[in-house]
Amino acid sequence: MNRIQTEVLVIGGGATGTGVAWDAALRGLKVVLVERRDLTHGTSGRYHGLLHSGGRYAVKDSHGAAECIAENQILRVTHAHCIEDTSGFFVVLPEDEGEYPDKFKAGCEAVGIPCVEIPVAEALRREPLLNPRISRVFEVPDGSSDSFLAAHATAQAARNAGAQILTYHEVTSLIMVGGESDRRVAGAVVHNVVTGEDTEIHADMTVNAAGAWTGKLAAMAGIEITIMPSKGTMVAMNHRLVNTVVNRCKSPSDGDIIVPSHTVCVIGTTSINVPEPEPLRIEPWEVKKMLEEGDKMVPGFAQARVLRAWAGVRPLFQDTYTSGKGRDVTRKLALLDHKEREGVAGFLTITGGKWTTFRLMAEATVDDICRHLGTERPCTTATTPVPGAEQGHYWVGHRLHEIEEKHLQSELVCECELVTRTMIENAARRNPLLTLDDLRRDVRLGKGPCQGGFCTYRATGILHEMKKAGSWEVNMSDDASSAAKWEVAYLQSPGHNLVSDADSHEDNGRAANTADSFNPNLLLRDFLQERWKGVTPILWGRQLKQERLDELIYMSLMNVDHLPDKELSSPVTEFYLFDTTPTAEEVADV
Amino acid sequence: MSDLLVIGAGLSGLMAAYTAVKAGMRVTIAAKGLGSMHWGAGTIDVLGYTATQPELPVKRPLEQIQSLIQQNPQHPYALLTNEHIAQTLATFVALSKDIGVPYGGATNPGDNVLLPSPAGAARPTYLAPKAQLAGDLSRSEPMLIVGFEGMRDFYPELIAENLTHLGYPARAAFLPLKLITNRRDSNTVQLAQGLDNKEQRALLAAALRKIVRPGERIGLPAILGMDAHITFLAELERETNSPVFEIPTLPPSVPGVRLYKAFRGHLQSLGVRLTAGLEVISTQTTAPNGVPGAVQWVESATSARPLKLRADKFLLATGGILGGGFNSDVNGRVWETIFNLPLTIPQERADWFNPGFLNPQGHPVFKGGVKVNASFQPIGANDQPLYANLWAAGNLLAHSDGIQERSVEGTAVATGVAAAQALSG
Ligand SMILES: Cc1cc2nc3c(=O)[nH]c(=O)nc-3n(C[C@H](O)[C@H](O)[C@H](O)COP(=O)(O)OP(=O)(O)OC[C@H]3O[C@@H](n4cnc5c(N)ncnc54)[C@H](O)[C@@H]3O)c2cc1C
Ligand SMILES: Cc1cc2nc3c(=O)[nH]c(=O)nc-3n(C[C@H](O)[C@H](O)[C@H](O)COP(=O)(O)OP(=O)(O)OC[C@H]3O[C@@H](n4cnc5c(N)ncnc54)[C@H](O)[C@@H]3O)c2cc1C
Repeated sequence: MNRIQTEVLVIGGGATGTGVAWDAALRGLKVVLVERRDLTHGTSGRYHGLLHSGGRYAVKDSHGAAECIAENQILRVTHAHCIEDTSGFFVVLPEDEGEYPDKFKAGCEAVGIPCVEIPVAEALRREPLLNPRISRVFEVPDGSSDSFLAAHATAQAARNAGAQILTYHEVTSLIMVGGESDRRVAGAVVHNVVTGEDTEIHADMTVNAAGAWTGKLAAMAGIEITIMPSKGTMVAMNHRLVNTVVNRCKSPSDGDIIVPSHTVCVIGTTSINVPEPEPLRIEPWEVKKMLEEGDKMVPGFAQARVLRAWAGVRPLFQDTYTSGKGRDVTRKLALLDHKEREGVAGFLTITGGKWTTFRLMAEATVDDICRHLGTERPCTTATTPVPGAEQGHYWVGHRLHEIEEKHLQSELVCECELVTRTMIENAARRNPLLTLDDLRRDVRLGKGPCQGGFCTYRATGILHEMKKAGSWEVNMSDDASSAAKWEVAYLQSPGHNLVSDADSHEDNGRAANTADSFNPNLLLRDFLQERWKGVTPILWGRQLKQERLDELIYMSLMNVDHLPDKELSSPVTEFYLFDTTPTAEEVADV
Repeated sequence: MSDLLVIGAGLSGLMAAYTAVKAGMRVTIAAKGLGSMHWGAGTIDVLGYTATQPELPVKRPLEQIQSLIQQNPQHPYALLTNEHIAQTLATFVALSKDIGVPYGGATNPGDNVLLPSPAGAARPTYLAPKAQLAGDLSRSEPMLIVGFEGMRDFYPELIAENLTHLGYPARAAFLPLKLITNRRDSNTVQLAQGLDNKEQRALLAAALRKIVRPGERIGLPAILGMDAHITFLAELERETNSPVFEIPTLPPSVPGVRLYKAFRGHLQSLGVRLTAGLEVISTQTTAPNGVPGAVQWVESATSARPLKLRADKFLLATGGILGGGFNSDVNGRVWETIFNLPLTIPQERADWFNPGFLNPQGHPVFKGGVKVNASFQPIGANDQPLYANLWAAGNLLAHSDGIQERSVEGTAVATGVAAAQALSG
């Protein structure tokens, strides 16, 4: 078995885990991060996309609200390019009138959230589709955030500081040492899900940042922690019906926030306790509810074209089970020191919180790591921008602008999301991939109205050409010194991917085997199925017609259901095959 | 005032218009878009796979239709005899020659021919444009699949590798895109138009001659000229001394556009009025209780004001969900957009899909459609025609999933011709 020795082992490649790796590496600690799939495979890739101002928590949870506004202001600097400065409205609908709006205003003031009541007419001028019957509007510094890009940028910052990031590596057991009185976690055994190899990673401190799976990880150390998985469903609409985040000004409940995100806008969420973090089904009533609620804020919303639906799980942490409806249980960050709690040394769990507070969670965690390691090193993440932040805030026209400025129209592989051929080539080389889904997370491939109808074939063809030309293997060296050359920050920027960077070197643990295990037919099938999985809950009207066109292309024209290598499967094939079609009982519930 | 108004300009609408005008009727076609011909391979698939043997391509489709009908007695093909289907296809082949986009089939008459798909799979089809036929996978010459560097809708390496893997030897080669265009962002239709130019054609022929090996046949993306493709193909074969064939690409489909353009021109020369971009949005009908009603006119949206289109007879060929003939909503309702004809599609979303995108059983929502009687008249619950002067044809008909079966165009040709025969008889 391979063996790696490190100071800190981080389990989980979501916002929290990448944040911990970044923070610890900046403090000069030797870090290895392992993630069982791709970065942001978990909740961080299935969230709502809101950079909280704290307004949502201003009435009920002033502590959480204060954390949000502080982190909001920090991330706008450290992760500028991952954030769109959309601003946010809290709107009072006729049915929401009462004491809440004034309490809301007072709550914001109490924790220092800039909150200005603006005239309804001004709000309607800025957002013409808003319900004209709103009676009051408060403006707060909400934003829209891109967790996919942020995780990449954070991970790259960690790598630049010496951390090693291993994706498609799953922890299968923890290495336990010591007896009854001095139990200690000394690292973990990780399984490379691509090659099947196992590696022992020995670490002084192991951090469990496995999100909704933290309970399962703790159980590997014989520790019981109660994580209540609470599912939330989001629905993406084909257009940005609003350009500002729109919140209902009332006690938080289902479907009361619309977040503009890149070319779409996303409404969410529901909140339903579920027994397991996966698999998750999206039920027809959830979609319907989202559309109905959206219609209250933006009349006509329910008639607009729906693009896709997805669901994530909140890892709500409870020390003891009480009654608990999802939203009332704490969403505060919880840092569990298992030495103090259960007498198991070398092991910390960090869970709860929000995407908005991931940096703070990481800071608290690494402070504790330093305490345990007996070293004093101050946290610097709050003042250290990650690579790419120098581009400034994201704005919705940025890709189009770069495409036009640099005349890249001819390079477009995905016309919906403006992804160029070179962006795909560079993303694949520098962050070698197992499925096209990884490219979807990297460069937004297939996220537009046709949901992969054209680009699935094109991306497969391009990657296959790279493989044939041997231009993929070029980077299969472990020359770590050149790792910093690659600016992951520009992953999503057509204008910065003008030349195909055939001699970049990236060793993130997947590189060595991706090109070998590459099979174009499997890639095609996996991605078609992945895109299908997320549209079945919303297939009707124009999106149903679109799906039929995709069938025409991939069955009638391409005959991909009769390509060779049918027996092949990837480690994620089964995940994509999870049946998401609505059932009769679910439909009857509506 | 026309004798017949055909709604929809897909293959079924065009075949129906052709049949009716030949029978002496005055025909008008109203169509919103361009029909699915523009998206497909440009071939006439009659029957490629059956649900009982989803892995095996159908060898002799007309014979296999009999067992298909045994399994599925209400299939649109069941409305016609085998001989009748064969006749309609023969009509199409003759027409295709007349209009300069000749179609043909397997060497052994009655067989499906297997042709390379743009992913390198072997796609079974019954009739293909002559320009695709040298790709017949039953031939023994190894294939040289040639693409153009940077062309985003065609991947020769992928095609060659998969074909070889399937037992059909092939290798890939690239030519520079600038050989055929100065504009890198051209789509397939623009590329084809560019290759109508003689000098461009000569350059391509010369480049191909250099890379082809003796005994090979050459496969190229289906962009070899728009109006001059037959001449061009002959030139290329002569210059390279090798058989040359086209492989269809991602949409827009050049073979589909060629067929549509030639067909439309021919119909117009026969006196058919064809207005594209005319979406029929409503209709005026009488519907006395119990007795079949009548369609008086349909109304279409034009830029200025609604336009009333009157005719003695109406034929609906709007092509189901893909063609835009049906719409659907979140509550599971699926409806026919013009006459609100009853559909056999389950009106519950839970019953629309089977698990998985490429499910060999297909998805029920795509299988349902308009029920017609033996003379192609839409019928209601009592099996009686709903309107005395309304007929329907093509992929909106109930009880078949043309994409799953690979019968989209065969159904269009057969039912388009037969419905027009029924209404003009
Ligand atoms: C519906 C919903 C909407 C939300 N919306 C917002 C919002 O708008 N704004 C906001 O600020 N916050 C939001 N949140 C909260 C936010 O998404 C989460 O707090 C955050 O993403 C949690 O990140 P994480 O890294 O802790 O967990 P995750 O992102 O789940 O990461 C955990 C990772 O651990 C990996 N893992 C699990 N087991 C193993 C193993 N054995 N070995 C290796 N790796 C393993 C998983 O694959 C996963 O990638 C939302 C949450 C939900 C559920
Ligand atoms: C901020 C933000 C913006 C987005 N914008 C867009 C956009 O513009 N266009 C777009 O197409 N997509 C968008 N997405 C969604 C994205 O494409 C994915 O759908 C999302 O990241 C979920 O990943 P997935 O594809 O693996 O799951 P999905 O394909 O979304 O999965 C959907 C189905 O799988 C089920 N499922 C979820 N988790 C599991 C599990 N663990 N095991 C089994 N089944 C599961 C779900 O219940 C659902 O039925 C956005 C996502 C975010 C977070």
